[in-house]
Amino acid sequence: MSSSPSLNTWSDALSGFSIGWFPLGLVIVAAIPLVFIALYALTYGVYGERKISAFMQDRLGPMEVGFWGILQTLADILKLLQKEDIVPTAADKFLFVVGPGILFVGSFLAFAVLPFGPAFIGADLNVGLFYAVGIVALEVVGILAAGWGSNNKWALYGAVRSVAQIVSYEIPASIALLCAAMLAGTLSMQQITLMQAGPGGFMHWFLFTNPIAWLPFLIYFISSLAETNRAPFDIPEAESELVAGYFTEYSGMKFAVIFLAEYGSMFMVSAIISIAFLGGWTSPLPNIGGLELNTMTSGPVWGAFWIIMKGFFFIFVQMWLRWTLPRLRVDQLMYLCWKVLTPFSLIAFVLTAVWVINH
Amino acid sequence: MSEYFSNIKTSATTIATGMTITLKHFFNAVKRKGDAGIDDADYFRQVDGLCTLQYPKEAIPTPPHGRYRLYCNIDDCIGCRQCERACPVECIAIETIKTTSDDLEACGKTSGGQQKRMWVPVFDIDVAKCMTCGICVSVCPTDCLYHTPVADFSEFNVKNMLYHFGNLSKIEAEAKKKKLAEQQAQAAKEKAAAGGAPAAKPAPKSAPQQKPGDAQ
Amino acid sequence: MQELGKVESNSTRIIRQDDKRVTIEKDLDTEHMVLSMGPQHPSTHGVLRLECITDGEVVVEAEPYLGYLHRCFEKHCEKIDYPAIVPYTDRMDYLAGMNSELAYCITVEKLLDIEIPRRVEFIRVIVSELNRIASHLVAIGTYAIDLGAFTPFLFCFRDREHIMNLLEWISGARMLYNYIWIGGLAYDVPADFKKRVDEFVTYFRPKAVELYKLLTENEIFVKRTYDIGIMPADVAINYGWSGPMLRGSGVKWDLRRNDPYSIYPELDFEVPVPDGKFSVVGDCLSRHLVRALEMEESLRIIEQCLAKMPEEPNFNSRALIPKKIRPKAGEVYGRAENPRGELGYYIVSDGKSTSPIRCKARSSCFVNLSAMKDLSKGQLIPDLVAIIGSIDIVLGEVDR
Repeated sequence: MSSSPSLNTWSDALSGFSIGWFPLGLVIVAAIPLVFIALYALTYGVYGERKISAFMQDRLGPMEVGFWGILQTLADILKLLQKEDIVPTAADKFLFVVGPGILFVGSFLAFAVLPFGPAFIGADLNVGLFYAVGIVALEVVGILAAGWGSNNKWALYGAVRSVAQIVSYEIPASIALLCAAMLAGTLSMQQITLMQAGPGGFMHWFLFTNPIAWLPFLIYFISSLAETNRAPFDIPEAESELVAGYFTEYSGMKFAVIFLAEYGSMFMVSAIISIAFLGGWTSPLPNIGGLELNTMTSGPVWGAFWIIMKGFFFIFVQMWLRWTLPRLRVDQLMYLCWKVLTPFSLIAFVLTAVWVINH
Repeated sequence: MSEYFSNIKTSATTIATGMTITLKHFFNAVKRKGDAGIDDADYFRQVDGLCTLQYPKEAIPTPPHGRYRLYCNIDDCIGCRQCERACPVECIAIETIKTTSDDLEACGKTSGGQQKRMWVPVFDIDVAKCMTCGICVSVCPTDCLYHTPVADFSEFNVKNMLYHFGNLSKIEAEAKKKKLAEQQAQAAKEKAAAGGAPAAKPAPKSAPQQKPGDAQ
Repeated sequence: MQELGKVESNSTRIIRQDDKRVTIEKDLDTEHMVLSMGPQHPSTHGVLRLECITDGEVVVEAEPYLGYLHRCFEKHCEKIDYPAIVPYTDRMDYLAGMNSELAYCITVEKLLDIEIPRRVEFIRVIVSELNRIASHLVAIGTYAIDLGAFTPFLFCFRDREHIMNLLEWISGARMLYNYIWIGGLAYDVPADFKKRVDEFVTYFRPKAVELYKLLTENEIFVKRTYDIGIMPADVAINYGWSGPMLRGSGVKWDLRRNDPYSIYPELDFEVPVPDGKFSVVGDCLSRHLVRALEMEESLRIIEQCLAKMPEEPNFNSRALIPKKIRPKAGEVYGRAENPRGELGYYIVSDGKSTSPIRCKARSSCFVNLSAMKDLSKGQLIPDLVAIIGSIDIVLGEVDR
């Protein structure tokens, strides 16, 4: 956090506030994003998905609970809490219970390094990007534990597919992110964002400052869909083939936890892509002459607003894709990864390197 | 190699086409289809936008001769039991008692002016069994049995799905049966007095008709 | 070196009943897994059960098990009157009730040798073609959902809803119509019916194009169905395939043309068969394409029927319905083109009873499904789903 002293005086003051030994201000600062994420996952994520899919399919979606069904997710959570938490007799009980936990932790650990504003960052690691990419791989363990522990053939298929898929897609995703890291010259998430901040608004973003960045941007976006098991790459949970994939046997709150993890990682990859290519918490509005739109819309609160908006935009695109496209087959998925995305990401890598050297 | 790139190109274009279609629908969601029935002249004029209705509050009207809940207008029923025989799933149960000659007036006429000769103490339709095929309706000679366009008649207790249409209460039915038996006994006696030997014949003939009543 | 057994392809190993299992790699000994797919599985379209022997993602063998929806249709028919069988035929292929009724009624009419009013024939063709569109919409929609696309499914159902409303309007019921009766119809159509059907045709054309763009042209969809589950024409004929399945294999066989009934000879329509440009003849995509193109042909038939239908004021559609149906002793086989293929009824009458002494239904789905074992050999599990979807089974008709 030492990196941006000028931008976060307000939040610094808040962080410094403590009652006796207890750093209350720091807890609040750390808690805001987390509380927000929980709220997002509960309301926007699930509710938004249902509404967006409904509107795309000429339906109304949830309408009964609250105004336009806005409280539907709360009702669902209450229902899931009341449900019996079934552990199949033949299941490996330890793995079965621990699977959703790992999944949840894996997807939410990455939030630690996401800068939600000039000051709102859990830990500004100097290897933040590396950490975010690495920690996502923990999900694989959770999925495998859930799938294997269920002792169900469909779950096993889902888990095996998922592992193959996530591990493969790590490669183009990481190379694509490396391009952003090369452009920024750092792995720290906060530094990458700061590199793209400026009075010009969106004109400083990596996506617009150089002619190659759209390629790694696109590659990372496609790979991130696969990493979060979203359509058209939702083959680990392909409901028409594998019933529900690796969480076939889950019910009640364990199912809800898996669900929350999925929506958590959806936001996580959306935030990473915004940070790496779209300037993170920086405002998209440029200063035009005397009209200082950028200055007006910058700051700790605005920062959080912008990154969340960017995240929401990408979540919307993810949902949009999901409700449009059919599902790929396993081998086509691998074809796309190894024969299309990986070569193109390598090309993007080389081109970016050339561009960085020349500038 | 060219196939490789053309594959990527067609993928991108077709995915883009699909996404424009869904996005168009997404923005069309401000409009809603109304709940005009198919017999409404405006039916196909309101098809854009959201097309679902919130069922209990809004519903597509069922057409006037919609075949849903079976209803019997018992005042017109002459107790011919044709529907009972025609029903492929045996969801109609009827019991009849022959009207005695002095009761014809009380039994009344159908709306078509036909004299009714049967009391129908039991006319039960098990709508839970009924498959709304409409065969009973087609055989009914007085058109007293018909489907109503009431589509929603769910019940919490399946026993409530058994609809009773009978026009006599149990006590009344007992009285009528007794009366009929008396009259028949009277007739038999008279016949025995007149003809002598074949006196026993009418009695077993009327027995099957009494049987449903006896079972009650 | 140990002798390796017969290996048909890189990934498929063959099991033989008498022989030992043959493995490719000696050091990595893998086992086959028996996977019971269904009867409660999202993509088995009801209650089909497939017992798959799988080797990883590869299906070595898949055996369909039927009978979960068996309702003794044929035995029932021996107990009930001829007209009372009509609602039972609705319940066989419940997605195309009108077509099933039509097939049954023309069979009994053949047995009775009675004349049908011309207006009745036109109405019958209109309703059965409407129902064909509805049925194909379900086939295409559920196929989309099998392959993971949810939105086309709901678009299909949205359009199908209009057909359901139209048919409810004339018959009184949404799915199980009992509308076509032996010798006539339950009711004449309402006054506005022609206009409304015409409006439906104009409404549906652009929607069909939209569906085509959204689903059929989508590269992912094409990749999932192209060159999958190929059925050569001769094998398809040997299996007794019919309908869009057989036409998907390139055989131009449509009972509406090849064994015409009703007023089909007077109508101008094409029998679409894949030309092999967009798809490989006989693959899943061909079968899907045939269905998509047939909807357009059905629209054309409906338009012609609307134009040619004789107007008769105070028309009594029940006028020629026989009071008591007791055909002369004899037997008859009548067939019609169901959306899923040839639906035939074989009826034997003894001349005394008012119900047939034998009524056998030749169900197209059942026959089409019989090739499942052949088609599924060596396919991936996702392809197996694609193949089942392309067969477009209705378990009500398979199990009867």
